[in-house]
Amino acid sequence: MSKQEKKYFHALHILEDNCTGCTSCVRVCPTEAIRVRDRKAQIDPLRCVDCGNCIEACTFHAIIPRSDPLDVINNFKYKVAILSTSYFGQFTEDVSYEVAKQALYELGFDDVQEEAMVTQFQVDMIRDYIRANRDMRPILSSNCPTVVRLIQLKYPSLLPNLFQLEAPMSILTRYLRESIKQEKGLKENEIGIFLIVPCVAHVTAVHQPEGAYKHLQDGAFSIGMIYGKVREHIKRLQNNPPDIETFPKGLMWALSGVQADLVDCEDIRALSVNGIANVMEILSRVEDHYLDQYDFIVLRSCTNGCVGGCLNVENPFVAMSRIKKMIKDGEDKKIDVQDLVDLYHEGEFDVAPLSSRPILELDKDIKKAIVKMKKLNEILTSLPGLNCCACGSPSCYALAEDIVQGKATIEDCIVLLRRHSQVEEEIKQEEINSAQDKE
Amino acid sequence: MQGFAAVKSEMGEYWYIRPGLEESVNDYFSAQPEADMALESQIPEKDFNQAGKGSAEVKNLLKRLGVDPGILRRVAVAAYEAEINVAAHSLGGMMVCRIYDEFIHLIFKDMGPGISDIEQAMTPGYSTADDMVRELGFGAGLGLPNIKKNSDALHILSEHGNPTLLEFLVYFNSDE
Repeated sequence: MSKQEKKYFHALHILEDNCTGCTSCVRVCPTEAIRVRDRKAQIDPLRCVDCGNCIEACTFHAIIPRSDPLDVINNFKYKVAILSTSYFGQFTEDVSYEVAKQALYELGFDDVQEEAMVTQFQVDMIRDYIRANRDMRPILSSNCPTVVRLIQLKYPSLLPNLFQLEAPMSILTRYLRESIKQEKGLKENEIGIFLIVPCVAHVTAVHQPEGAYKHLQDGAFSIGMIYGKVREHIKRLQNNPPDIETFPKGLMWALSGVQADLVDCEDIRALSVNGIANVMEILSRVEDHYLDQYDFIVLRSCTNGCVGGCLNVENPFVAMSRIKKMIKDGEDKKIDVQDLVDLYHEGEFDVAPLSSRPILELDKDIKKAIVKMKKLNEILTSLPGLNCCACGSPSCYALAEDIVQGKATIEDCIVLLRRHSQVEEEIKQEEINSAQDKE
Repeated sequence: MQGFAAVKSEMGEYWYIRPGLEESVNDYFSAQPEADMALESQIPEKDFNQAGKGSAEVKNLLKRLGVDPGILRRVAVAAYEAEINVAAHSLGGMMVCRIYDEFIHLIFKDMGPGISDIEQAMTPGYSTADDMVRELGFGAGLGLPNIKKNSDALHILSEHGNPTLLEFLVYFNSDE
């Protein structure tokens, strides 16, 4: 299977030298993608959804997020940065919106654009889509790459419910690439478009987009990685605030709750869900058709939405409060999106339907799967049920599954091993005793 | 359980079989072969924290077996409805799940008080749910019709004052 399967890129990697095999990461992985084998953590690339839980759980800095080195921008004549809205929640309140944005130009970009610019357009597109697909309820937002992958892996029956149009940063990429080509007379490969992102999943999505028809971005930088440099520029810019365009009302894209409120209207009911455990519970209920009263569900893997991404610097609640303040203080201005509307009607933002990658199934053949399931249950009854992770699998159930799939053996269970050796010792002791009695 | 039409309703008993499956369903019910796998769970009365756990377990099991996502959803909906029905309307009961390589057989048994008019209960919108149940968001009167819609065969055995048996089959390779 593994040789034929496509190799999956993930924006995180394990530093083996730092890994102690402690299993902290194994326990927090929502798709049970991590195992400790030979005292080192291993990530199954087919199961990983880039949620970032393991990065946060690792206290030994052994799981490291990967993003592109900033100097890759120099490979391009014209360098564009697209900012995730959560970026603006990362600074103290004395740093103005304009200054925070200008700092990006100082890093070497020729153009700095914001996801926030297309928020209202995106909302209109979502409403349009919902009204055109009334027979499919609820529509699930597809903006969070982790959620999309989670559905492919664990809830494949919900793939048709996914909102099938590009997310704001990709919409902006398509639009900018075309408009810059025309305005500046540049070739496609002279323009480098990069995302400034709050999470691992968005880095992965840049390098391995799901359902994209065309070449999108040329790289992704994490907010955390550029933060230090940006702050130095901010210090300098504070005395001389620039006069540049901002989109305060669009910043709500970073906040999952506000986003749902935005889509919600007279004929559309929207629900907002964030945090990966909540997302999974909700997806399971959608599967049961118990949330069909909603037309749209905003699903975000991180706490409070993108502000909770693990590559941010600020706490998700503080960042959310700051962004809310910026939205409140900001002016509502009209943004001309006619070009976007035209592209939308031309089908430029369509995405291909996604295929499932079911990780739960034990075998493609149901007869074999039933045999394996029976064996799994049998093994499970012999395991101690402590879910201690000492074997390196996330639970006794997962170990039983690993054994059935030939990825582990019953000897991996340390508790059983100890119990067996105790019994053996007792037998030996008894033999010695009886031998002594005979003498 | 001798020959019956695709839909048969009598006092205290209701049968529905998707057209074309009569023979297979008949054979199964008359032979009742041993299941490849079985699962059991209790459904306590009016315990809405617990209700739904059994059907969730069935759903996870079917995912492990690689059952088609569309079929999985039909089983999930029917099982969840049936489980909630037992929790909401009866004095408690249990769910038995029997799995074969071609279909799943789910059986719900409760301890009463029974359905006084099954025909009426099969009408969409008809509900006897009390206020407590409705406050929890259940009891819209879509339970039984929804189970029927999502299953390939449905059998209900019930009389007022007696325990109810509800069982249904969903085939893994059916086209719908």
